[in-house]
Parts: sequence; structure tokens; C-alpha cells
Amino acid sequence: MRKMYKINILDYALQSSQGDAEETLQSIKDKNTTISAKEVSTIDGNIEIPYYLFEKKVEENPDDIKQAIKKIVQNISDKLSVEQRKNTSLIIGTALVDQNIVKAVVETMYDYKKKPYSSSKKSIDSFAKEISEELGLNAFSMTISTACTSSVNAVLEARNLINSDVIEYAIVVGVEVFSQMMSNGFSSMKLLSSDVQKPFDISRDGLVLGEAIAGVLVGKDSSPWAILGGYSNCNSLNITSVSPSGKEYAEVMNRTMDLSNVKAEDITTLKAHATSTPTNDMSEIHAIQKVFTPDVTFTALKPYVGHTLGACGVLELAMFISCIDDGFIPQTLNHTEPIIEEYVPLQEFKECHSGIFMLNYFGFGGNNTSIIIQKESK
Amino acid sequence: MKLYVKALSGYRGRLKDIDLKKELKSKYKLDTRRQDTFIHLAVYGAQLLKEETSIYSDDELYITSGVGNIDVLQKTNNYVQEEKDFIKPFDFINMLGNTTSYYVANSLGMKDKNMFQISDNFTYINTLISIFASLKMSHKEAVLGSVDLCTEPDEVIKRVLGVDEDTEVTSSVAYQKFSLSSIDAIAELEFDAKVYSLEEIKALVQKSNLNIVSSMRCEDLELFQDKEFFETMPSYYLNQAVQTKRDLLYIDSYENRYRVIKVVNLV
Repeated sequence: MRKMYKINILDYALQSSQGDAEETLQSIKDKNTTISAKEVSTIDGNIEIPYYLFEKKVEENPDDIKQAIKKIVQNISDKLSVEQRKNTSLIIGTALVDQNIVKAVVETMYDYKKKPYSSSKKSIDSFAKEISEELGLNAFSMTISTACTSSVNAVLEARNLINSDVIEYAIVVGVEVFSQMMSNGFSSMKLLSSDVQKPFDISRDGLVLGEAIAGVLVGKDSSPWAILGGYSNCNSLNITSVSPSGKEYAEVMNRTMDLSNVKAEDITTLKAHATSTPTNDMSEIHAIQKVFTPDVTFTALKPYVGHTLGACGVLELAMFISCIDDGFIPQTLNHTEPIIEEYVPLQEFKECHSGIFMLNYFGFGGNNTSIIIQKESK
Repeated sequence: MKLYVKALSGYRGRLKDIDLKKELKSKYKLDTRRQDTFIHLAVYGAQLLKEETSIYSDDELYITSGVGNIDVLQKTNNYVQEEKDFIKPFDFINMLGNTTSYYVANSLGMKDKNMFQISDNFTYINTLISIFASLKMSHKEAVLGSVDLCTEPDEVIKRVLGVDEDTEVTSSVAYQKFSLSSIDAIAELEFDAKVYSLEEIKALVQKSNLNIVSSMRCEDLELFQDKEFFETMPSYYLNQAVQTKRDLLYIDSYENRYRVIKVVNLV
């Protein structure tokens, strides 16, 4: 039987709409989150939607996005030795639209924007490749695009690569910045709330989009935080949703527990995906009901930072770790009346310093992922 | 690192030569609505693979591409940015990378791991490494689809491929089913994460008695190179090596660094 390493979470850095890791933690503790607004075009004309935006604007162009990602990666890689950096791969998870292609389309197709022919190899992975070169990281980079599960799937890929001795460390980064096209897309699907996200609430009416760039360093070095296991599948009713019964989500959660050698009663807290859309929360709460007894502690982080799409995997992982390291499980904001009476998300901050935690992430394209992490008590 | 090839399929050529939608609808009885050409190409290659081998619901699926779904971005950019129209829900969904892998999985009855991944450099080899690492952990088998779509005008894709303006580009889809086990395998694929310098790769070429093909990006090597280009070309040449039963050393290059794949036929 092949030896499996214990893969740990060694460090993290993040930039959310509420600021860096410290500022984001403080905003959670204060229950004081800042929501901005953006204009999107809809069939009914241009409307303003609530949006969790960075305080300092990141323009929707490759150079600006790259610099913002680099800052987070550098925050982590600066603490590594030159040798460690050489053995560290950068893996990005994102649902971003590839602006390199958009630029090529614009410069080719429209006479008034036409530019002389020039070509350089570009793709959505150019961020990872170029930043790796500039920061002395390993040449092996990749970018995973599986909608809202992109960056948590990138964490699981990193775990595989380290376990197979392909790389020693990985910096896994989740990236999402404002995109007119994505915002319009969510708007056209009528998935956006006009107010705030209300996870698992009977009056929930949609999600609020958010910007974030977050990174975690994973490797075999000792750390209080370990990844016990994870599982990802592609199983859904159709391309945008699973069954109302949530059986597909329950399957992923159960399989993750099997692979992590833990039982439902071992889970200290579940961080739900909780988009606050009518259908997704309905399916997830039914899945929770299938997997856990009503005394399960579960909470949602999106009301603090918005739905950060491809970035939410790593962002919410880093946020959750920072809360437990600070000694508490955050409550679910904006919840007043549950979908299922016995299953109520956490209503008050709960003291917690260690435990086994399940984190759920579900995305379009039938992509469902759960991951289990553990912080050992001192 | 070694992976064993259990089956393969592929199609390469300008898409004006084939009616993908018609093939998918009439031959494979598949619903092609709400999809675009990139997805049709990916699903078509997958159906060709299905004719060659059994695919199980718990096989892992990987779709890789040099650029991704250029078709939907070209289309939506035109009507959203230029004509100031609002985005259609299914064009929005199709912009997400894993929408393509979802439709492929659906058409093959697959329900397990499903990845859409892109590497700027060594696209195909990096995905092979990812598959190798995953199968080591899961002990399953994997289907890999490499999809590159050339839209009209082809100048758009050339601008992001890093090629000269007069380079011939084309569309390609190539699939393989991989396992870590050699049982019932038709070929062995050997590769690693090692990056070679020009001197090292020249030495490797001199020692090798295999048929050698190099990427168009290997400008300093006087070896056979295809006249056309697409990013996932190693996947196409792997299939060629097995179909013609000629063992192969494929050399890929990016910014004067080189990596290799060795294909050895087993039957």
C-alpha cells in the first residue's frame, strides 16, 4: 500500500472586500461588513446591484489582476527560502473570463479598435506562469476552472501532487475580481439579491457577488491545520442545479467523510456553501438533513464577503481558519426563519479552538466538492 | 511517471469539413441545444472514444485546452460589448470552463471527478502529471480530452498562441483513457516534470532511436514538425503513434525549455 503523507495548511493570505486577513477577521468579529454597489445591464435596462468590492479597485484587465494576485502570492512566498520556492508550485482556481482572449477578439474583429498583429502565448494560466517566474517558484503551474469549486478543487489537486512527490509545496490561490460579463450573467439568470444574502432563510432571494484573492500554502511540514480528505464529483440534475432533495450534495459529503476516516458525529462544524439562492440552499439544507442530526453546528460565511465564485474555495477556507485560530465559529448573518425548523444555522458566535471541520462548495456544471480539515487541540 | 493507454480517439481539421452538430444529433442521438462549437467538438471526441472502450461512471474526467472556449467569448463579446445587448443565460454558462467537461461527462455517463484545466506552458504534459497524481490516490481510471478550437477569423487565436501571423492553425480534439495498470493497455506513456535545456534535449535526441516529433515551438531543433499548430498537439501525436504502431518521442517547448513524452506501443 502506498504511503500517504499528511498534507497540512501551512500559511494563508487574503484580500477580500473587507480588507486583508486581519481586517476581514475584525469585520467578522464586529459583524460590520461593507457592501458597495455596481451597475449591470439587464433586460430591463441598467440597474445597480449590491456588490462586495475591493476598497482599492482592481481593473478588469490582465495586468491589474496579475499584480493583485502577485501581492497575495508574495505575501506567502516571501516567508519561504529560495530552495523552498523552487519546489513550490502555483495553482490557481478561478472562474474569471479570460481577458487575453477578449483583448485578442477586440483587436482583431473591430476596425475602430484594430491593432497591428502581435502574438504572445497567453491563457487564463498566464497569471500563474508569469508570477511563478517572477517569484522564483517551480515552473509547474496550472489553472483550474470549475466554477465556484475552482479553488477548493485546486487545493485537492495540490494535495494529490504533493502526495505523489511531484512537488513539495503548493501555493493555491482563488481569484475573482469584478467582471461585467459575469455580473450580467448572474443577473440574467435572476440569481442576484437586491439586498443582502440570507443563508437558509425562508425569505432568501439570491446571492451578492464579491471580489477576493486568497491563497493558502500547503505542504508536508508540521502545522496545527491538516487536510484530512476531500472529494469532488460532477453529478447534478442539470447544468445549474442538483435535485431539490440534495442527494448529490449528500453523496459528496458522505464520500468525503469516508475518505477522511471521520463520521458525521466527529464533525465539529460544517461551513456550508450557502449561496442564499432559493434552489441551492433548499438542496443543501436537505443534504445536511440527510447527513447530520439536527444538533449539527453549521454556518455560512458569504454574508461577510459575498459569493466570490472561483475564489470562495480558498477564501472561505482561509477565513474559517482565521476565525478558529482566533477562538470562535462565526455566526450566520441575516438569518431569521429556517427552511427546515430543526436545522438552524449558527445564530451566535460560538467559542471553538480546535476540531474537525467540513467545508462545502458547489458550483454550476454539476461540480460538487467537500473538504475536511482538522485543527488539533494543543 | 507512467500512464497506460487503454483506448483513444480523435478528430483534427478545419470544422468546415464536418457538421459536428449533425453528427452528435443523428449518429449519437445527443441533445446539442444550448451548446456551442467548442463544446460540440469536445463531446464529439468523447463519443468517438466511447465507441472504442467502456467508460464507467466513476472514471475521472479531465478536459484540457491551450486556450479554452474561444467560440463563446468571441460571440458574447460581440453582442454584449459592441451591440450593448444583455448576455444570454446559456452563453454565460458556456463561458465557464467546466461547462464543457459537464457536457462531456453527461454524454459519457460519468459522475465522478471532473476537471477543466489549463496550463500556459506544456498544457498537455501538465495535465498528464495531474492525472498521474490523482490516480495514485484514487486508484481509478481517467479519461483525458484535449480540445483546441480554431474559430474564424483565425487571427484571434493566433494572437494568444504566441505564433507568427502566417502560421497555419487548426482545430483538434483527442482523447485517451488512462490507467496506472498495464493490463489490457495498448501503449505506455512515459513523462515527467523535468525541464530540459537545449543542450540536454539535443543529447537526448542523439541517443534516441525512436521516431521523434517536435513542437513548432522547438525552433532550434531540426526535427519533424507539423505544418499546422494547436496547443494540445502532443495528444494528437500520441494517438498517431499508437494508430501507426510507431513508438514516439515527442518534444514540447516553451521559452527555450523542453519537456518530453515517450510513447511505447504494447500490442
